[in-house]
Amino acid sequence: MNELDFIVLDRDGALAEARDGLSRAGFLAAAAAGAGALLLVARDASAAALSANDVDILNYALSLEYLQAAFYTEAERSNALSKQAAGAAKTVGAVERAHVEAFRSLLGRQAIARPQFDFQGVTEDSGEFVRTAVGFEDLAVAAYKGQAGKLDSGAVLAAALGIHTVEARHAAWMRYLNGVKPAASAFDEPSSKAEITRVVNATGFISSAPNMSSQTSPRYTG
Amino acid sequence: MATADPRSSKALNEEPIRARSSRVELLRRGAGAAGLALAGVTAAGLPAIGAAQSPDRDARALNLLLMVEYAQVGFYEDALRDGNLRGERKSYANAVLEHERAHLDAVRQALGGAADPKPPHDFGDAIRTFSDSAARLEDVAVGAYNGQAGNVSAEALGAAARIVSVEARHAAWIRSIAGRPPAPNPSDSPMTAAEVRKALEDLGVQL
Repeated sequence: MNELDFIVLDRDGALAEARDGLSRAGFLAAAAAGAGALLLVARDASAAALSANDVDILNYALSLEYLQAAFYTEAERSNALSKQAAGAAKTVGAVERAHVEAFRSLLGRQAIARPQFDFQGVTEDSGEFVRTAVGFEDLAVAAYKGQAGKLDSGAVLAAALGIHTVEARHAAWMRYLNGVKPAASAFDEPSSKAEITRVVNATGFISSAPNMSSQTSPRYTG
Repeated sequence: MATADPRSSKALNEEPIRARSSRVELLRRGAGAAGLALAGVTAAGLPAIGAAQSPDRDARALNLLLMVEYAQVGFYEDALRDGNLRGERKSYANAVLEHERAHLDAVRQALGGAADPKPPHDFGDAIRTFSDSAARLEDVAVGAYNGQAGNVSAEALGAAARIVSVEARHAAWIRSIAGRPPAPNPSDSPMTAAEVRKALEDLGVQL
């Protein structure tokens, strides 16, 4: 991975700073291994157009990543969390912003805009934050799994699966912090887009639909 | 609504109801209910490979995953017998062994008569560094499943996806216990079959 790739993925440097227990050199190597696949897909996709089906699925994934990135970023900035919760918010937030950036790169001008969110205080209380994070991450795992068999592009599928298991790691991590079993059963079940959309809408966390015409700078680079 | 999956409902019941926010509760229940709605489709695990469009290709991929599941079951059995595990590590190993046995059954049933035999193993050294070895084994499982996703039929892919995220949960779980970063990369890289075999051999499987 060259320097340019890294900048694309981590414009604000948060990902680099957020890594716990790894040197910067170690982090760069790890980020190269992890994020490289997504960027390769992005390059391939710029040459060959994505199918309309894959664009829909990728925008659905992007919408969930926007939600998660905004949630963790707001939690990190709230300065109201315990050290442990704040540390998790910083690290996971940086990864979710990298996912947002990867999907936006892949979709280019077809990417949906970021909606406005209102987390209604759950980012300002450690307990509420971790419980909400468990909900988001378990939901993301089920959402990715629900789309795995529907993608046309094998390259996009490979990239999505690599993100799917990172969401599962986050889910287990947040469950561990919340004191519940990180892996509650031997099999994780998928969820349909309709079901996920229903649950997300019911939270009231999305305060405005994306403004498709807005191409101004988003509040978060991710 | 499909038949409720007893595993999922058990899992939900195991969790303490502590959420104060109804919104959080909604998210949590929503995730569970969404799972329930789709349970029963392939509750027993993977579809039999005879039904797949390219059974030989599926069999090669699934036999690699079978080796991973054999290794995991053997590792946790041996660790629980010989590893002097206590506290969090012991409850982790007990819970995960149960999952790995279910995965092994699912993969072996899918392969039927095409299943390769269980390889011999010696996890003596690996068990002495239990947390590191368990983290490595779970990371390898994630890489193995992700790496074979493009080599199996759509039906097998859907079933394998239900297993791989649980392997990722295990990986993050043991890393949390050991105080290591649970999710060290933005994306989990797939592993080739050769990389998977090498990693299993390094841990003590005689392939």
